Amino acid sequence: MVELVFIAPMLAGIVAFFLPPTAGRPLLVLTGAAHLALSILLWALRPEALFPAYFAVTPEGLLSLLVISLLFFLIAIYTTAYLKAAEIRSENIFTGSMLLFLSTMTMVTLSDHIMVMWIAIEATTLASAPLIYTHRSAASLEATWKYVLICSVGIALALLGSVFITLSMDVGDVDVPVAFSSLMGVAQQLDPLWLKTGFVFILVGYGTKMGLAPMHTWLPDAHSEAPSPASALLSGVLLNCAYLGIFKTNKVMHAAGLGDFSGTILMTFGLVSILAAATFILKQTEYKRLLAYSSIENMGIIAFGTGIGGIGAYGAVLCLIHHSLIKSSLFLCSGNILLGYGNRLISATGQMARRMPKTFVAFFGGFAGISGFPPFGIFIGELFIIMAAFRTGHYLAVGLFVLSLCVIFAGFARHVMKISFDDVDTTIQIEETSIMVWPQYALLTTSMVLCFWIPETLYQTIVQALATTGGGF
Amino acid sequence: MIHPVDSLLALVLLSVLISFASSRLPTLIKAVAFQGVVVSIVPFFMGHDLTVGGVVFTLATMVIRGIGIPLCIYLAIKKVAIKREVEPIIGYNASLLAGLLLIVAAAFVSPKFNLPQISVNALLLPTAITLLVAGMFLLMARRNAIAMVLGYIMMENGIYVVGTSFSLRAHHIVEFGILLDVLAGVMIMAIILQNIKQTFDDVDTAHLRTLKE
Repeated sequence: MVELVFIAPMLAGIVAFFLPPTAGRPLLVLTGAAHLALSILLWALRPEALFPAYFAVTPEGLLSLLVISLLFFLIAIYTTAYLKAAEIRSENIFTGSMLLFLSTMTMVTLSDHIMVMWIAIEATTLASAPLIYTHRSAASLEATWKYVLICSVGIALALLGSVFITLSMDVGDVDVPVAFSSLMGVAQQLDPLWLKTGFVFILVGYGTKMGLAPMHTWLPDAHSEAPSPASALLSGVLLNCAYLGIFKTNKVMHAAGLGDFSGTILMTFGLVSILAAATFILKQTEYKRLLAYSSIENMGIIAFGTGIGGIGAYGAVLCLIHHSLIKSSLFLCSGNILLGYGNRLISATGQMARRMPKTFVAFFGGFAGISGFPPFGIFIGELFIIMAAFRTGHYLAVGLFVLSLCVIFAGFARHVMKISFDDVDTTIQIEETSIMVWPQYALLTTSMVLCFWIPETLYQTIVQALATTGGGF
Repeated sequence: MIHPVDSLLALVLLSVLISFASSRLPTLIKAVAFQGVVVSIVPFFMGHDLTVGGVVFTLATMVIRGIGIPLCIYLAIKKVAIKREVEPIIGYNASLLAGLLLIVAAAFVSPKFNLPQISVNALLLPTAITLLVAGMFLLMARRNAIAMVLGYIMMENGIYVVGTSFSLRAHHIVEFGILLDVLAGVMIMAIILQNIKQTFDDVDTAHLRTLKE
């Protein structure tokens, strides 16, 4: 039954390619609902996989899976309205790719074998490439080319890293399956040199996919050229999937007693990403690219927190969950703005508070949430990371961290104020239907509720996921 | 006596130098195809125990890697009559010198790794490192999109050498993964290539410059 969770959307995706164009819309929502139900069932029962050598239900996998499932369901509902308003050629390719994309991401969360995980992450690249090319323009072609080429090369490096980890088993004379769960038990016997080399390659490889600077160059292009529901999926869940690969390898490093080594590298990459985002966010001219750079910032924050460990790692997981919820709602809002104003430039937008009041509420709420204001969860996550950094004595790093967050807030705020309140001379081209805003409201409300009240089962799962890396309190 | 694996790997190193010096796409494709064939038959001479499944798998890899993919790319450039120049950013002589330096450097660093296989096959690790870096070099130093795809394939060849020769454990799944990767990746890239050709009437990536900071 574990495998069913990714096989079902795969079949639905293949079917969608052969259906008439508009028939894909209900299929998208139905598959989303079925997937959500299956994920919740998986969460409650935690069954054994049919092929235990390759797949397993792990706490960190369950967390990502539930986020993917919830997000996809809400995005699917939004997509039905978006497809009505936007004109997309060959809609069945779009819906089919969305479903295949869901299937491959689900496979990432459930894979336990190192190579199967790698294959699944590679498959996410291939399934999402048609989504970025949906508009068939020269610019979207460029974005797709960059995305496929940069991510393929990155993923190839991750493959090399995975091979190095099997090499560390050979040199250390360990004979267990090449799965993360079995490596945890024998981590002490692995050859440390090859394990370290493997970790660095995996971090650079999956880090490319996760959008860590300086390998992030594909991310703003892909996010700005893809249709908004696809951008929401890319930013909300694809980046998490890549992070999951790094997270699991980091766990093996901790079990092998090399946590300091991996932590330092993660913190460095995290800080570089935050600084890069702070540099580029100030002079952005397009609002979707603005959101993309904010994703790079948040991935940096998550890597930084994971690197510090302790309550910092707990904060990083909170940031991961809330970033998915808030950022995807922001990208869905950007879809409304694009349909309304018909332009991607910030300078062509304005007075959203009056002209698109419903979208404005969601957009502004999302902006407050992503900048780390209460009552949204990123506030708590960042607070924990800063506390952990002080506790472990990383004063310079935390200084840079806070400074960059301030710069990013200032840059982001200037653009958002312009979009929301400045005068502009255009008319809005669409009617704001309720189906185009309530998925965003639902996402933001979830984030708000989770800020004040974390259900016991969720809390326990996060703590279990972090148990070996010394996360939690 | 020279181990047969080392003789094969010497041919692979030669193919890297040829690919660095070639100015025309057909030559480059032939060099990479030759490299694919040689790299895929290396496991036969390693002295590992081969199962029937292993033999079939290796032969399938050889056919796809050495014949299938290069043939597809070759037919693609024939069909759309793309300019045959590889449009270098770094010139051919400089590339050739860089290739030679790369091989020397790879041979120099290799003994520093403690691997059981190194004492038997002296060229194994240097070749793997050379292929990886050479692939990245082609990706960066050529503007022609097809030359970039070929650079990517060369990188995958390097990973294949590491995966099949050093690590005994993950054997088939590694081969399967790399094969899947190359096949699917190249297929998607070929589709994008055709679209680039249709949109810009050329595959020079200098056209892809509108999205940048």
